[in-house]
Amino acid sequence: MLFPTSGFLLFFLVVAAVMAALETRFATKKAVLVAASYYFYAQWDWRFCFLLAFSTGVSYVVGRLIGAARRRDRRRLFLATGVTLHLGVLGVFKYLDFFVLSANRLAQLLGLSHELPFFELLLPVGISFFTFHGISYITDVYRGDVKVCRDPLDMALYMSFFPQLVAGPIVRAAYFLPQLARPSAEPIPLAPAMLLILGGLFKKVVVANYLATGLVDPVFAAPTSYGGPDLLLAVYGYAVQIYCDFSAYSDIAIGLAALLGFRFPPNFNQPYRAERLREFWRRWHISLSSWLRDYLYKPLGGNRRGRLKTYRNLLVTMLLGGLWHGAAWKFVAWGALHGGGLAIERLLEPLIGRRAQTPAARVIATIVVFHLVCLAWIFFRAEDFVVARLYIEGLAGGWRDGVQQAGPAMVALILVGMAGQFTPPALFERAAAALGRLPVWGLGATSGVAVAAIDALGPAGVAPFIYFRF
Amino acid sequence: MVAVESELTTIAAPPGGDAIPLALRRRGGTPRQVFVLTLVGTLLLALFASADLSSWLDRMGDGPVLVPLQNVATEWDGAMQRLNLTRPAAALRAAMHRLLDAEW
Repeated sequence: MLFPTSGFLLFFLVVAAVMAALETRFATKKAVLVAASYYFYAQWDWRFCFLLAFSTGVSYVVGRLIGAARRRDRRRLFLATGVTLHLGVLGVFKYLDFFVLSANRLAQLLGLSHELPFFELLLPVGISFFTFHGISYITDVYRGDVKVCRDPLDMALYMSFFPQLVAGPIVRAAYFLPQLARPSAEPIPLAPAMLLILGGLFKKVVVANYLATGLVDPVFAAPTSYGGPDLLLAVYGYAVQIYCDFSAYSDIAIGLAALLGFRFPPNFNQPYRAERLREFWRRWHISLSSWLRDYLYKPLGGNRRGRLKTYRNLLVTMLLGGLWHGAAWKFVAWGALHGGGLAIERLLEPLIGRRAQTPAARVIATIVVFHLVCLAWIFFRAEDFVVARLYIEGLAGGWRDGVQQAGPAMVALILVGMAGQFTPPALFERAAAALGRLPVWGLGATSGVAVAAIDALGPAGVAPFIYFRF
Repeated sequence: MVAVESELTTIAAPPGGDAIPLALRRRGGTPRQVFVLTLVGTLLLALFASADLSSWLDRMGDGPVLVPLQNVATEWDGAMQRLNLTRPAAALRAAMHRLLDAEW
């Protein structure tokens, strides 16, 4: 069940009706939200629900065991068991065939004829996200950063809450669980929530979908058929497409959660305006980058054990961050480019400074960082290394051909996507304040007309969000 | 067990704070208003994008419940067309196609 569909709208309408009817019965509301979340998840494949329930059970039981253990070594043992179980589930469902493929290729290189069979397990949608939810909860309990969750219903809702279930943001237990302790006394921010949802729908349905079908997919499918201008515009197009696709999901998730009375953290903050790669990662997929920082980079030693180990830790964190995105070496290469870039940036910091000083230097730094990110996107988007190599070769040499694929509409969509990176934050606040002056029925009518307009502007059908497969 | 469970007095702030700033969360509504908002939006969508409802139901396949619903949705779409309520969406769609077909 995708957000921009009639099916989801009717599903949400029913959920909203039940929430309204239940008024102050908070525990019943939570139970309804768990049931709705499992129904939502079952729309992909009902068997996945058992996996989600297993991960929830592991998190709950391990959290209680860690909380109850007096000795540090026992707490450590419970944590290790919990993390192993979570990673075991992720490893089996997401990486097993990747390991088999890699082992078979290695065997081929060594001249061995025997090949291991593939398991061909179906990848449960959102598994990377709920696994990281579970790991962060038990680690935070171990560290004493979050209270032990004693209510299984709260744990079930934390792990399964449908707005963030399949593609994040990765919401920390320390942030979400306290919201389940008692009903929020805050009013529901109707106008900002609707603005986020409408903006997300526009980014996904219009910008991301047209860029995918009209430019990015055809050019990446056959890069040798296109000249440099198309290749360059297609990689810019992909940068905008993946941002509009993923940030759209996050915005809609944040808006839906807000309508249900819950707060979520931001996940994107105009990433392509970053002047340093480090800054890019503070603006892009914030919930993942902060997760990797707190549960991987810092436990590895962070930047506290000398320069060389800092570079190593950056590289390891980004390599594993790359692998988190997908079971393929191209994602590892993407992570390596970012990790290497972050390490080089730190190395050069005494020369270039932490921030560019003059306006011209800031513009140049932003352009350089954007192009480094685009270079890495080529590996992320290309089918494999061969396609990525052909793509980069085409960019380096084929500038005699004119533009074939990237028409004015595609360029306009790229410009719209990029313009969104540089709008002042006050614009959102002003727009939300203006919408907030409408009566509720007026806000509903405006939203309905806006959704109809977005639907009319978009292509027929809705492609799944890119991050569903991660 | 309870005695040794760690108790926290403060809750860790998330990285980046809340997605919706505090200033925008001071005014708002109730769950009932959320329902009203969603219902009005859905009705408006059913008026101006009636073809979507029909095609969504068609994609769900056959069944004793679905077939009558599909017939109702088709009739509803026809009625909206006769009332010219689908014209704005058609005009937007045509404008978008013209833009997509434009060449340098």
